Amino acid sequence: MGVLRDKKAFFVFLMPGLLFYLLSVFYPITESLRLSFIKWNGITPQQFVGLDNYKRLFQDPVFYKALINNLIYLVIVVIIQLSIGLLFAVLLTYLKKRANLVKTLYYVPCIVTTVAIAQLFRSIYSTQPEGLLNQMLSAVGLGGLTTSWLTNLNTVLGAVSIPEGWRFIGMYMVIFYAALVSLDESVYEAAKIDGATELQILFKIKIPMIKDILLLTFTMCLTGALRGFDIPYLLTNGGPGNASELMSTYMYKQAFTNNQYGYGSALAVFIIIESVLIIFILRKIFENYDVKAQKKAAKQALALSKRKNNKEGRVA
Amino acid sequence: MIRKVGVLVSLLGVLFMVTACGGEKEDASTTTVKWLTSRPVGGAIDETMREIADQYSKEKGGKWKIDFETTADRPSYLQKLKTLVAGNNMPDIIDTDPDLYAKELVKAGKLVDMKKFLQKNDYYQNFYPTALKYQEFSDGSMYTLPLEYHVEMIWYNKKLFSQHGISVPKTFDQWLAACKKLKEAGVTPISVDGIDRWPVQRYLAMPAFRQTGNQFIENLSQGKEKMSSQTGVDSVKFVKEIGQYFNEGFSATDYATAQSMFLDGKSAMYYIGDWEIGAMQEKYDAGEIDYFYMPTTKDSVTAANEFCVNSGIGMAFNAETFDEKTKDFLLYVLDHYADIYTKKMQMSPIKTELPKDVDYSSLYLRIRKDMDNTGEQFMKPWDTYLDSSTNTIVQDNLLLVGSGDMKIQDFVKMIDDSIKVNVTDQ
Repeated sequence: MGVLRDKKAFFVFLMPGLLFYLLSVFYPITESLRLSFIKWNGITPQQFVGLDNYKRLFQDPVFYKALINNLIYLVIVVIIQLSIGLLFAVLLTYLKKRANLVKTLYYVPCIVTTVAIAQLFRSIYSTQPEGLLNQMLSAVGLGGLTTSWLTNLNTVLGAVSIPEGWRFIGMYMVIFYAALVSLDESVYEAAKIDGATELQILFKIKIPMIKDILLLTFTMCLTGALRGFDIPYLLTNGGPGNASELMSTYMYKQAFTNNQYGYGSALAVFIIIESVLIIFILRKIFENYDVKAQKKAAKQALALSKRKNNKEGRVA
Repeated sequence: MIRKVGVLVSLLGVLFMVTACGGEKEDASTTTVKWLTSRPVGGAIDETMREIADQYSKEKGGKWKIDFETTADRPSYLQKLKTLVAGNNMPDIIDTDPDLYAKELVKAGKLVDMKKFLQKNDYYQNFYPTALKYQEFSDGSMYTLPLEYHVEMIWYNKKLFSQHGISVPKTFDQWLAACKKLKEAGVTPISVDGIDRWPVQRYLAMPAFRQTGNQFIENLSQGKEKMSSQTGVDSVKFVKEIGQYFNEGFSATDYATAQSMFLDGKSAMYYIGDWEIGAMQEKYDAGEIDYFYMPTTKDSVTAANEFCVNSGIGMAFNAETFDEKTKDFLLYVLDHYADIYTKKMQMSPIKTELPKDVDYSSLYLRIRKDMDNTGEQFMKPWDTYLDSSTNTIVQDNLLLVGSGDMKIQDFVKMIDDSIKVNVTDQ
């Protein structure tokens, strides 16, 4: 174990990972930052334009559209992934047999390539030939609801969000399941003896106890959704019009289709700031919740001890 | 001490691995030319060029090699190309349309003047004039070499047409009337690939071409004309009108689906060029389908034998690496291309006699004859004229116009604003 106490050894072991991170993540970010102050089409010399790209950003109606779309996308994806993931994980804890088989089956969409998933959902949403979704709607007498999901302006954003939400349900289910089964059973068995219902145990004991995991999954899920790109890009490429445009697809279009590397970089910088900001807010919310919970617990303990004291006083 | 030796050994190990990954050494006397191409692997052009390259390499005793780097998906290809150029790593040979991006490359002195090269080496007159003209910029200069030659037509289902008493439309009005009749009878009039955008953009170009030739789009792209002009509005209006006859959800329909809809008899018409001759052959031979060319209007300045003719994405050479060896290879290609390519049942941009030993289908011969009889003018796709930002806006929003989700005046304003920002103000 001597080698782990040696600081130089730490350095040597960390070096490859650190170097890789610096080159593949940190350097591109700084380069994006630099390019965001520059006007460049990839051919002519780069021209410094100060804050012009950012000024343009805040005057660009498509940017606002993409931003709002991205937030809606975020909400849909997070709700699907975390709520359904958690629900499945809870249900799975009650499954006595074949839990592993179910886990594996539900995990499959995570390992299917994005292109295949996009193709799958394109067929599900399709109108001609009639896809699965429309067929099912017609079969249950909801034929009036059938539509071209990917071209209808009211449904397209939801339609591109759902595949992204769906594919990672299994992953979050596995994480939640692992957290739930690792809880100390004696805690909620005690609650059961005290007469708590299953729902009370779930919401008052189990979920608060896996709070750290919740924060982790929330962070993973949010950052995942914020950089959502592949499925919307493959399904609609932000269209029709800009109805399903996300920040990332818009950035990609500006930089790589329109050769406006500067403006595209300004959008990229905005995405980074947006992500950091949202994660920061999320952490604050959780911290607040922590503080509140601690205060509440302290209050309850205080009240309990007071009552105890009173009782004891009366007895005395 | 032992620890130091350990660190040293591991460092040496890493060093060894790094050098081992370096790969084998190239023989210094072998010339390798890199072609970043977007031609589908196994397609006629790809096969022809590979055959020619192999033959040439053999003649040079293996001292010459070409490295094909293929990305058939056009958007991915363009992204790769642009990234390589931006990183100052432009390959020796690239594929590009004569669009504004290519123009920027020319301005930066990165492309070989193909017109000059062909004229100097007496190959210019060997080509079909339209095939060359398609590759020209509006100032008449030409930097890309055509490797294909196509006409685009509207294929139709003969049975569906006769069932509903429709004859082949000669004018736009007749065309729209035919669509209306089919739709009322519950038939999808036209199947369209909206995912790729360009097929919808062709419909936008049609009325403008009939009214002005390519003049309108040329002026529009330079900021000398407005989309809100009569011609512009007429063109958008046409997309709105004909858009109601496209298959439902056409914006999310891909190339293969649109085509199979037509071939399966689920739509009555389908717009595509002769490069799909192979797919059409069987049904054509069975007498189930036929084609007609873009209809005309009363006040057309272009004739019925003038429509979309193109010579595809061109091949361009990097001016910095265009040395004697590459020149020699290009001349070799020019000498052999037409023969090999035509044997594969393709229309060559270089004039050639049809070989006697190949049995050409009647469809092929008919289209070839059509090509010989096309007029002087031809409709050039709008995406080769417009700056990329405006083009993206046109393509994205035209889908909305076609599906009836965007007003004509909103679309027109959006395009005029974009041209003002991206062209006039630059």
